[in-house]
This record gives sequence, structure tokens and C-alpha cells, in this order.
Amino acid sequence: MAAPFAFEKRDKPLRGGQIRAFVVGVVVALLLGSILLLIAGHDPITIYTKMFDSAFGSRRGISTTLTRAVPLGLAGLAVAVAGSMGLWNIGAEGQIIAGAIAGAWVARLGGDLPGPALITLMLLGAVVGGGLLALGPAIARASLGVNEIITTLMLNEVAIRVVRYLVNGPWKDPDGNNFPIAPELPDQSALPALFERSNIGLLIAAAVLLGFGVYTARSAWGYELRIAGSSEKAATYAGISLKAKVFTVLVLSGAIAGLAGGIELTGSSDRLVEGVANGWGYAGIIVAALALMRPSGVAAVAVAFGAVQVGGLSIQTLGVPAAIASILQALILFGALSAAVFTNYRLVRRSSGVTTATVATS
Amino acid sequence: MIRTMQRLMALLAVFTAFTLFAAACGSDASTDTGTSGADDSTEADTGDADETDDTDDAMEDDAAGDGGDVKAAFIMVAPIGDAGWNFMHNEGRLGAEAATGVETAYVDSVAEGGADFDNAVQQFIDDGFNVIFTTSFGYMDATEKFAAENPDVVFEHISGFKMNDTNFGNAFGRMYQPRYIAGMAAGAATETNKIGYVAAFPIPEVIRGINAFTLGAQAVNPDAVVEVNWTSTWFDPGVEGNAAQTLIDAGADVLTMHQDSTATGEVATAAGATFIGYHSDMSAQVDSYLTAPVWDWTGYYTDIINSVKDGSFAPAAYWGGIADGLVDISIPDSSPVAGEMKDVREQIVNGDFDVFEGAIFDQDGNQITDADGNLVVDLSDPFGNAIGAVGDAMNDGILLGMGFFVQGVIGSVEG
Repeated sequence: MAAPFAFEKRDKPLRGGQIRAFVVGVVVALLLGSILLLIAGHDPITIYTKMFDSAFGSRRGISTTLTRAVPLGLAGLAVAVAGSMGLWNIGAEGQIIAGAIAGAWVARLGGDLPGPALITLMLLGAVVGGGLLALGPAIARASLGVNEIITTLMLNEVAIRVVRYLVNGPWKDPDGNNFPIAPELPDQSALPALFERSNIGLLIAAAVLLGFGVYTARSAWGYELRIAGSSEKAATYAGISLKAKVFTVLVLSGAIAGLAGGIELTGSSDRLVEGVANGWGYAGIIVAALALMRPSGVAAVAVAFGAVQVGGLSIQTLGVPAAIASILQALILFGALSAAVFTNYRLVRRSSGVTTATVATS
Repeated sequence: MIRTMQRLMALLAVFTAFTLFAAACGSDASTDTGTSGADDSTEADTGDADETDDTDDAMEDDAAGDGGDVKAAFIMVAPIGDAGWNFMHNEGRLGAEAATGVETAYVDSVAEGGADFDNAVQQFIDDGFNVIFTTSFGYMDATEKFAAENPDVVFEHISGFKMNDTNFGNAFGRMYQPRYIAGMAAGAATETNKIGYVAAFPIPEVIRGINAFTLGAQAVNPDAVVEVNWTSTWFDPGVEGNAAQTLIDAGADVLTMHQDSTATGEVATAAGATFIGYHSDMSAQVDSYLTAPVWDWTGYYTDIINSVKDGSFAPAAYWGGIADGLVDISIPDSSPVAGEMKDVREQIVNGDFDVFEGAIFDQDGNQITDADGNLVVDLSDPFGNAIGAVGDAMNDGILLGMGFFVQGVIGSVEG
């Protein structure tokens, strides 16, 4: 009550405000970061130039950024698809692992298949794997109303333990000198290269992102999704079957995250490893939030996020400690995220706020 | 149209902000205190073409034996911290930098087997680094791949089992040697005759260390047993501390560990037990510290960098011991067996004593080797692959695949 300012919801989102807010947020974050860098004894211009150059300054940089954007984008899409109907899938991390496990299993069974067939089956397996891990939370939420945040989050722990068990036990590499690692994947299971470090996983992810972006924005299905997200009553009144919708969306969300795991496995890894998800699933939550839960916005955010990660890693080679690089990344993301609030809200002075609000609504 | 205008305005705003910002900070550029040569790498980054030229130049220089352009990079799996595995690698990096005068840089907290590692290595290559040390087991496959793609860059991986004939070697230390001596200190220090060993994963490296430690303890105290508690993590102070406490509760009065944190030492101190560390001298961190088998990577890093400098680099699977200075142990004068420990260290350095010589029995009492150190049974690794046959001497191949516990160890190699 004592606060002199309050957030007031805008009547309608600021037109083009998203970009403006994003830019302001990032610039403020860069300024704050430069203070930090100066204190640590680094020249902010050198550092920021390096960040930008490493992410976008060369073909290789671009390919590195895009390669990172693939799992970020798919994980972000997984979260956003659920998020656009008000569901929180916090389990993308585990679903990525489940996808990778399923993909690796397919490779164990069909190691003699020709490349294209094997890769297709591995990716399909990954989609099924991710969807299966989301099946429990989907049924529980749809039929019993069990909070999907808790169930999806807890399954992350289950997934990481399953992969740990596999590489320490039944899937341990006989040629691995007793190290806890899975066997190398068959050579033909590697996704074909596209350019530099990028592989065709980039095209698959782009197609999925584009497809979902367009479909959820234009189709009746996507419209129903948003209605269900904004008001259960309205959805029921409109004859939308909520239970079926909740179930489908959560399983779909898991399947998309699973695909990310499959692409990571066939694209970037030589074998199934414990760290296959690498935090992409959690980063996907941030990506989705930055995209305001709109599947159509995920791709751009994923590329930007990937660039920040690539840049953050690159400046460590200039002697910037990992901790400061992480803080910089966090600042930039936080700046962008908090700025997004201003698209829908404005800051008003508490004392005159009532009058303003009255005028605005009258 | 309006939307497009707004976008243009937004872009303009960014550029304006950046320019103002650049002007404001420009005057500070001279205060840059980054790593030596940071300016060079920034210049090299101003364009893709420049970058490639720079790298080519460096290679030509190398071929000419000039060596002035050797730059060494280090990739580490966890924060450098103040006492563990990565800390000692960074100490080695700084030591080698001082000894060779080459520019070095490092990236830490790089996850194994994924995009982070690829990015870090590629970044270093693009910045003209031509010796790259990757210091975690999980980097092995990716290091092999980069070595094949970048024949002009030397890669050294620690610790794994892959290498090639031209530009990719691996290295590790015979940590079992100082572990044996640490075991002697533990055997003399224990009053309950039970020593607790907090260990990460049941891989040959860790099993070998536990066995050597146990043989050392029993050499001075035949009644001493070593109880192992697995944590399934290299670094997790909470889990390590709990594992240590379990061993204290089971009656151990001396604790040691194969982990990356000092949590075991803190539990030992709180319980009034004695702590034997690992990696580095942990006397500053742990009050109950007695001694520790330690790493010193300076010599190895220096040798590799110098060999690249003078063009004599040849990949090897290097396994250095106390005699090479890669591993060692400081011998505490307070220990009642300090004299014996010094003797054993001396004999190891001279080659007069080998930790796994003589008759060895497994934890179930089955004889493994005879008094001459030759196998009396066929040995296989956990998958049934033969690693040694009756009559074979206890060689490095058997040590590297070691999958059994010696007599006196309580615990399971299954993990």
C-alpha cells in the first residue's frame, strides 16, 4: 500500500511495444553488466564485441548459435504449447532425457539399419519417449486435476536416475574400460551435416516450430487452446472438451521435448550420456516465457537465447570467470523478461492511479 | 507501414544506445586487464577472413619451428574452486604459463558430452589456440572428433583411453602410488582399525586407489580394514558429507575420499576423526587434516607445450608417477610411520618397489597373484573380457582395467 507506484494493466497491449520493451530491457542489462565487468577489470566493449562476434560474426558462429537454438526452441515450444492453455510443463528436461533414452534404445535394437531409416526411427522413438514421460502427468491432470507442475518436475528426477542406472548397469559400454558410459551410437545414426556445425536437426526443428507457430495461431485448434487458457468457463460454454484438450496438450508437449532429446542424441552426441539434456528443458521455460507463451515467438527467442549462451561461453576465453559470464547471461535474460511486463502493464503513480484508471476505462 | 517504422525506430534506438555506450566506455579501454594477449585475440576477431589468416600464420610459424605463436587452452568440467581436481589443473596451467611464457586461457564449468564443450573448443581454435587440454573423462569422444577435424591443433585428454598417431594424446597419473603411502599413514593412525573411504564411482581409477590405499594400511597395520561408501557423484558436498557420516557411525576413526570437495574432512573434524585428503594440500580447509596424495600438472603441461613449441610433439598415453613429479604426497612428521613412508616413497621413485607387487588376495580371500606378482587366476573385467591370464605379471593393462577389491576392503565393486 505504501508503494508510490503500482502496475496497471493496459487496456490493450502496447503496439510494437514488445520489441521496444525488449530493447530497453537488454540495454539496461548491458549497462548493468558493464559495471560488473569494469569492477572485475574487463573492458565492456571488448567483452560485448566478443560476445556478439562469437555468436553472429562468422558462419561458424551462426551455425553454433543455431545449433544451440534447436534444443532451446523445441523445449521452449514444448513449454509454450502447454502454456498457451495455461498448463505448466516443467518437465521438459526429463522429457528430453526420455526422448534420448528411447532414441538410444532404438539404436541398440536396430543398429544394422541404414542411416535414414535408423535416424527416422530414433527420432520417432524419441517423440514417443518424451510423450510417454508426460503421459502420467497428463492423465493425472485431465482426470483427477493433479497439479502438473509437481508431477512433471518430479519426473525430471526419475528420468536422470534412469539414464544414470542404464549407463552404470545394463547399457554400460563393454569397451569402455569399465567407465560408466553407454556404447557409441552406430556411425550411420548421426544426423547429416548442413553447414559448419549445424546438422539437419536445424531443419527439422525449424519445420516443427514453423508448423506449430502457424497452426496454433491460425487453426480452430489453436483458438480453442487460447480460449481454454484464458477461461475454463468460456471454453466449456463453447463446447470445448477440456479434459481431452488438457490430455492431448500435455502429451504433445512431452513429445516435442522428446524430439529435442532425439535430435541432441543423433546430432550432437556420440553416445547416450547422463548430461544429454544439459539444462535445455529448464532453459525452455525461460524461452517460452520470453515468447509470452506464443509458439510463434519461440524460434526468434531461442536464437537470441542461444546467442547469449554462445557469447557467454566465448568471453571466458578472454579471462572472464564463468560466474561473471553467467551473471551477464542472467542479466540480459532478466532484463528482456522484466521488460516484457511493460507490454501489458504500465507503471502509474499510486495517488493519481485511481483517477487515471477511471479516465482510461470511462 | 507503421509497424515497420516502429521496428526501424527500435533498431535505431539500439544503435544509438550502443554508440553512446561505446563512447562513454571508450576511455576505459586502456584499463583492460584481461589475460595476456587478450587484445590480439580481439583484433583477430574483427573479421572472419582475418581470423583464418591469423590461424594460418600461426601454423606456418609452427612449421618453421619458430614456436612464438603457441597458445594453450584448458577446458575444465567444474569451477576451479579452492582445493579439488580442477583447482590443481589450474595450478598446473599457471605453472606451465610461467615456465614456458606462452599465453594460456581456460574455460571452466563446461558440461561433458554436449554443445558447451563443442562451443568452447571451437572458440579456442578460432582464437588461434593450438594446444588444447581437455581435463575430464567425459570429453573423450568429442576431443577425438575435434582432433580428427583439426590436424594442426594438438589435443591432450585427461583422463581417458583414446588417442591417435598425430595430434591427440592422453595422460593420467599413477595416483595409486601416493595412495599406498597415504594408506600407511591411515593404518598407523586408526585405533578402531576401521578406515572410511568416501568414493565417487566404481571405475578402475577409483578401485585401484582404494586397493593401493588398503594395501598400504595393512602393510603397517594388518588388522586395519577399509570400508567404502559410494556417492555416485564427483562433487556434491551434501552427499559426500552424508556418506562420510555413515562411515563414522560405522566406527571409522580415519576418513579419506576420492571426491572433489572437502566435505568428508569437515565431517571427520566434527567427529574427532583424522582426515586424509586428496588432490591438494587441504590443511588450510580442514583442521583434522593429516596428509593427502596430490597432483602437480605443471611439469606435464610444460613438457607438452614445449614439445609443440619445438615441433617434437608425439602423442602418447602418458601415465606419470611420483618419479615424474605428476603425483606425490607430503609425509607428516607427526605420523609414527613417517620413516617407513619416506622409505617406501624412495623405493617407488627408484623403481625398487611396486604397489601391487607380491601376493595379492581379493576381498573374498581368493589368491590373485603369487609372491612373484604373477597371476594365479585368469582375470577379466566386469564384462568378461580377458585382461590377464595365469602367469602374466601385474601389468599396466590389468591395473587400468582393475575391477576387484583386495583383501581388507569392505564394500562392493558393483557400486
